[in-house]
Amino acid sequence: MGAINSIEELEAYRRELAAAAKPDLPTVLVCFGTGCQANGSRLVAEAFTEAIKEQGLQVDVNIGIKTTGCHGYCENGPLVVLRPQDILYLKVKPEDVPEIVEESIKGGRVVERLVYRDKVTEELVPRYSEIPFYKHQLRIALRHIGTIDPTNIDDYILAGGYAGLAKALTMKPEDIISEVERSGLRGRGGAGFPTGTKWRSCARVDSDVRYVMCNGDEGDPGAFMDRSIMEGDPHAVIEGMIIGAYAVGSHQGYIYVRDEYPLAVRNLTLAIEAAREKGLLGENILGSGFSFDIKISRGGGAFVCGESSALMRSVEGNVGEPRAKYIRSVERGLYNRPTVLNNVETWANVPEIILKGAEWYASMGTEGSKGTKVFSLVGKVNNTGLVEVPMGISIRELVENIGGGILGGKKFKAVQTGGPSGGCIPERLADLPIDFDSLTKAGSMMGSGGIIVMDEDTCMVDVAKYFTGFLVEESCGKCTPCRDGLPRMLDLLTEITEGRGTEEHLAMLEELCDLLTWGALCGLGTSAANPVLSTIKYFREEYEAHIKDKKCPAGVCKALITYYIDPEACTGCRLCAKNCPQNCITGKRKEAHVIDTSKCIKCGVCKDVCTFDAVRIS
Amino acid sequence: MEKISVVIDGRTFQAEKDTCILEVARRNGIHIPSLCYNSEVTSSGGSCRVCLVEAHQGGRMRLVTACNYPVREGLEVRTDTPLVHRIRRGVLELLLARVPDSEVIREMAAAEGITEARYRKDEGENERYKCIACALCTNVCAEVVGVHAIAMVGRGADKKPATPYDKPSDVCIGCGACAYACPTGAISLKEQDGVRRIWHKDFKMVRCSVCGTPYIPEAQVDWIVRKTGKDRSFFDKCPDHR
Repeated sequence: MGAINSIEELEAYRRELAAAAKPDLPTVLVCFGTGCQANGSRLVAEAFTEAIKEQGLQVDVNIGIKTTGCHGYCENGPLVVLRPQDILYLKVKPEDVPEIVEESIKGGRVVERLVYRDKVTEELVPRYSEIPFYKHQLRIALRHIGTIDPTNIDDYILAGGYAGLAKALTMKPEDIISEVERSGLRGRGGAGFPTGTKWRSCARVDSDVRYVMCNGDEGDPGAFMDRSIMEGDPHAVIEGMIIGAYAVGSHQGYIYVRDEYPLAVRNLTLAIEAAREKGLLGENILGSGFSFDIKISRGGGAFVCGESSALMRSVEGNVGEPRAKYIRSVERGLYNRPTVLNNVETWANVPEIILKGAEWYASMGTEGSKGTKVFSLVGKVNNTGLVEVPMGISIRELVENIGGGILGGKKFKAVQTGGPSGGCIPERLADLPIDFDSLTKAGSMMGSGGIIVMDEDTCMVDVAKYFTGFLVEESCGKCTPCRDGLPRMLDLLTEITEGRGTEEHLAMLEELCDLLTWGALCGLGTSAANPVLSTIKYFREEYEAHIKDKKCPAGVCKALITYYIDPEACTGCRLCAKNCPQNCITGKRKEAHVIDTSKCIKCGVCKDVCTFDAVRIS
Repeated sequence: MEKISVVIDGRTFQAEKDTCILEVARRNGIHIPSLCYNSEVTSSGGSCRVCLVEAHQGGRMRLVTACNYPVREGLEVRTDTPLVHRIRRGVLELLLARVPDSEVIREMAAAEGITEARYRKDEGENERYKCIACALCTNVCAEVVGVHAIAMVGRGADKKPATPYDKPSDVCIGCGACAYACPTGAISLKEQDGVRRIWHKDFKMVRCSVCGTPYIPEAQVDWIVRKTGKDRSFFDKCPDHR
């Protein structure tokens, strides 16, 4: 069908789709997120089409196939969900497919070897919603991801899509802003600025042109929340933006998305085209008289372009450099016009808030941080992936209940939140609730939602060095503290990890942190000290061990460790000696071996290959 | 233009709304050091950070660059506090480590009590040995001259002003405005036998018909004639003999 001309027509269309839908039809959902596609989910989907044909079934008659966005449990991909039974199969290969069709779809039995097995109790958990990774989640921003086909607008409409927009169009713009204000929604991009306040400030500025923008320039190492939303539910972002545009009186929107996210660009492009065809975007949306359209602007992948003023410069076609924000972008933003810039996840929340109301949203989360937050949980944790939880959940709950605890039964040491602008929070503060204010108070920040879990084998000085190195590469070079201060910080950290640090190094690091925090031009620079500051604050003794004792307690910093073989544990199997690239391990068969430390390059191969845990670090 | 009153170091001044702090301070004899700002270039400023001052407004304080922070009613500025000096010292020490040979930076740092940077000295290319990457040159070229012969290229510590691919630029008119504006004298401009060399390119100079002094590149005359329609004969004589 063509354009939908009114709210009534939209609802009629939704009823039509619902009547044609077959909720009881066995349906295979194959994850087409970037992670699962990289693991071969395309071949899995093809195998399903083939197997269904071979076993005498017909697509859409006996069985449905749907490709969806990311389920979040990426390390176990390719993921396949069977509906309506709600069974999740992990690590599915094309050769598993005939068995799934035969056993599960025809026979109604579960293929046990593809089902989640609890790591402690060894119990099988076939149901999606009962797997610990999903059980503790509360999905609002991710509400449709994994269940709808992101390239099919009908699927989104059937799931209740654009109902928030329909409701918004019956409201006064002023009332929409109040609703968002009362919901307590704060920007999900990192700084946590109240969204409604931002909209109100923009709407208040006298101007004939206003812009609404979406920041999809997700750049924190290990973070992929926004990518999954743009890939898996692009219409949620678009719908949120249309509502925001109507509220502030904008007729043109931009989505800035990094070009390294080709699937996100593709799905957003398809979604924008489909929304235009349906009359949900463009001139006279749903016959309301309100017009708004969206352009996609692809970024070149500079980290700093996630900073609002640099992002706007980049969209304008200039070099993506930040500028002083003494006049805020809600007054003078893109092309010097009042501009609302919100993050992908923020926009994706908006339709639900309008549809279900501010009170519903504000009933979740904490006093200062309402609703839910999507995190990408990565690092030394059993279950890694994308999760959405209510604000206020503790770090420990996230790591232990959803993450399934630390990998290999090691000791939980710290979490790094907020990417390169955030900091490290030690295990002893793991009962801290995750919300904007608690994390900031602890010297870290929410950031866009990256959470890196670290175990006892992580050296905190090395972590600080890693993030500082990242920022040295990503500094745009415009202002002195960031351009020249960060490389000096990296020098000092490198010297400490190489055993050349002194007490003076620590003092100078702290001075540079102070300089960056106060003196840098943009958010990248003013927060760049956080990884160093937070690790000095919580792990000072580790810095001191490097400086005074010339030791790396976690056994990471190569210059400060030596490998040796424990003669008690060594069986003389010769495996390490055979694999040593330096040929510096000697010893007779069945006798304890010895490493010649003068030739050892500390590559760690001997430790990796030893099956008796006889290679040790001191 | 709307007049407002602003307090700087305890004294109240009248100023036009949205003038930058630095201009108000200068007009009233209050010294705030600055490098990357030039009052004739609206796109300049904000990058070197030596002019950071305390801005108190609405019950909160932050450090702002005096060269581009617009004054508004109720603003109180403090230019001489321990925090201002501490951060300025930090910035200058970094600049001193970057361009240890720059007299301007040495003097400015010495005024804050710094004579030697504790950091590893930068061993950059000779050309940018005194360059603090403040972008005033490129702002002048783009905004005042209007030719865009140079731009800031690279990023982070490698950021520098350059012609495309460091090759002689097709559009450079050799006017030397960049070198004139540079706060640290980092841009090499040499003249010999009626030829000016700047940014890897030689420019033939027009000689004054009275005194014979080569005083303006031919390419610059072409540019001005093209832009303004001024008669070419006007440039026969140097400013001293017109």
